[in-house]
Amino acid sequence: MIYGLYIIVGLICIYTFRHYWFTLNRLFGFQRHPYIDIDTADWPPVTILVAAHNEEKVISNALDALMAVNYPHEKMLVIPVNDRSKDRTREIIDDFVEKFPGRIRPFHRVSGKAGKAAALKDAMELVETEVILIFDADYIPGAGLVKQLVAPFFDPEVGGVMGRVVPMNVGANLLTRLLDLERSGGYQVDQQARMNLRLVPQHGGTVAGVRMSALHEIGGWNDTSLTEDTDLTYRLLLHGWKTAYQNRSECYEEVPETWPVRIKQIMRWAKGHNQAMLTYSFHLLFGRHRATLRERIDGTLLLGVYVMAPLTLLGWLLALGVFYQGVVPLHGIVALLAFTSYAAVGNLAAFFEIAAAARLDGTFGRICLLPFLILGFAVSTFSVTRAAISLVTDAITGAEFHWDKTERFRTTT
Amino acid sequence: MNAYLSVSVLIAFNGLLLTIPVIPAIVELYRKSDAQPLLVIQKHGGEIRHFSEGFRKYIDELKPTLKECRRSGATARGRLKDNAEYFVMGKPSATSLREVRKHDGDCSTVIVAGGDFETPGISNFSKEIYVQGNFQGGNFNHYRAILGEKDVELGAYSSVARWIHAVGVFSASYHCALSGRVSSDSAIKLKRKCTFLRLNAPRIQLGASSIELPQNDPAVPDSGKSSVALKRYLYDQDFEVQAGQIFHGNIVTRGKLRVHQGARIFGSLKSNKQMVLEKGVLVTGSVISASQLYIGPGCCIHGPIIAEHALHIDIGVRLGTPAKLATVSSPKILAKEGVVVFGSLWAREYGEVADKA
Repeated sequence: MIYGLYIIVGLICIYTFRHYWFTLNRLFGFQRHPYIDIDTADWPPVTILVAAHNEEKVISNALDALMAVNYPHEKMLVIPVNDRSKDRTREIIDDFVEKFPGRIRPFHRVSGKAGKAAALKDAMELVETEVILIFDADYIPGAGLVKQLVAPFFDPEVGGVMGRVVPMNVGANLLTRLLDLERSGGYQVDQQARMNLRLVPQHGGTVAGVRMSALHEIGGWNDTSLTEDTDLTYRLLLHGWKTAYQNRSECYEEVPETWPVRIKQIMRWAKGHNQAMLTYSFHLLFGRHRATLRERIDGTLLLGVYVMAPLTLLGWLLALGVFYQGVVPLHGIVALLAFTSYAAVGNLAAFFEIAAAARLDGTFGRICLLPFLILGFAVSTFSVTRAAISLVTDAITGAEFHWDKTERFRTTT
Repeated sequence: MNAYLSVSVLIAFNGLLLTIPVIPAIVELYRKSDAQPLLVIQKHGGEIRHFSEGFRKYIDELKPTLKECRRSGATARGRLKDNAEYFVMGKPSATSLREVRKHDGDCSTVIVAGGDFETPGISNFSKEIYVQGNFQGGNFNHYRAILGEKDVELGAYSSVARWIHAVGVFSASYHCALSGRVSSDSAIKLKRKCTFLRLNAPRIQLGASSIELPQNDPAVPDSGKSSVALKRYLYDQDFEVQAGQIFHGNIVTRGKLRVHQGARIFGSLKSNKQMVLEKGVLVTGSVISASQLYIGPGCCIHGPIIAEHALHIDIGVRLGTPAKLATVSSPKILAKEGVVVFGSLWAREYGEVADKA
């Protein structure tokens, strides 16, 4: 029991170190934004896929914004991927097709496997360009975003591109404000630090791009994955393709406004991510492929983030067990010192990261909400643990993965 | 004090201590003082001309005044909507300028010139200048920003703090310091020892225009296929392309990359360490170095060029083409005389036109 506890404590310390390393890098290190200056070029043709499943509340905002972007019209084709929608999504898309002839080619999918990856896979039949961008229907790209996301593809090593997601419904309630802080930490610090340190920026599957030849090389979209973005990140990495993160390529999104929707969302992410961990972690760490040593280590740690929640809960249980067993770990005084040090430094790592992100964003008032993040973390810990247990039981019972679409809250169309 | 009271006081005190850090959080939650989404620019794409276009709109209200002054040859003074002082010259001259230029050379008025405008030297223009004709600045001047409807020419040892846009040709004499954004719809010409940050024009000429090297840029048949779409060749170590070799495809190296003299790359190049292009190399796609990049004399690159640490460009290099404009970007750029860039040249920290020696 005590050795199990040691292992968990060791893993927590590694992730604590990682949080600090990333945060300090963002605050004081060399910042890499190599492609953001590319504003003049012979822009390649691009196809923009807009994934939509029952998106009548938001799809028109996305298409309106895409029709107004600053990219040569003759080189840009928008394909709304209408995946078996039962609401007015089809009608709205067809109205846009009529309004912007030649610029939108709809893909109305009426049957087939559920899920975004499956829909994108089917839509690839219509794609003829080397560069593909992907947006979810609730995203609202700005005028310069398409050029910014295409620019990294001038680097022949880049297979995928990821932009920054910025919540637009921040002020709705406590949950949206906490999600805003989490997104800020995740993108402003985590993703950019991984870009700076040449580690593994994660492809997020939206506000993102992929190179067609890279996608072909890795075998296309994996429609058995619940998180096609994580799956794509690792397959690109294993084949020697880089994912570039563009922190200044920001795009508004809508975050969940109710806790049940948030719990569903994070459970899907956790399941998909853990699925990717089981599939790729061993091969990534020890296999023969094109990833560098630092990518192997960081990639494995990134794959493990959703396992840390159940492990932390297990660690608490083990610590209780050890206490009632009367075992004195590491000769008492050492354990006490270690515990005190961790309590003083380790517990603050995630908060430090988010506070640093808010500072980098130039926001201040929202930092006051940091104590409430404990609530968000608690909900996430239990939801992710539930997802991990569900993944195991699904494997035993042979149950198939179930795709849950994230509910939208926008009231205007 | 009885035991129950002691415990109650202890619990209340600890409860208070636990509540203290949450008080600002509760206040912020209800006051929503910082609950707006982060500002994401939706309306424009960060174009270099954004500020000059904004300034053009800003002085739009002066159009009737300017028209009247041009007709009568008079001057006019007043205040714009934001209370900034302006000075309109129908027929610009050094004499007219004396109205707003102090003896020490300071001029803190927005200047609107209805025709060709020549400024005296050793002047400090701390507000924007708009010129309908050609603009010629004296030596040792300092400007905040200039918008010229025709050619704009700066005298030696002048500096610009914010931006310049010229509809015609923009040229800067020796030792000018261009700290902001400089753009032209026609061409930019910088003389020796000029420093710059961001330049954009269909043609950017650095240093003397008389330096012409034979270009390894034969009539390259346009395959119609973007270099983005070509096959990738990935090398885990250092790699060299031999002199005169012709290579079709995109080369990616994890180590250093050296392209020897006269080689032709029909594709793009990427190295994760230093990259050297020797004399007369042709690259039809992009060139990206995660470290330093040296571009040798007479090289010709058609696509975007990025060096993450530093970029040295030797004499007679051509970057981009008149038909396919490109971006050249690096924190530090040292370009020798005779370099021509078609598109954007962005030095994030420091750029300089060096001697050809």
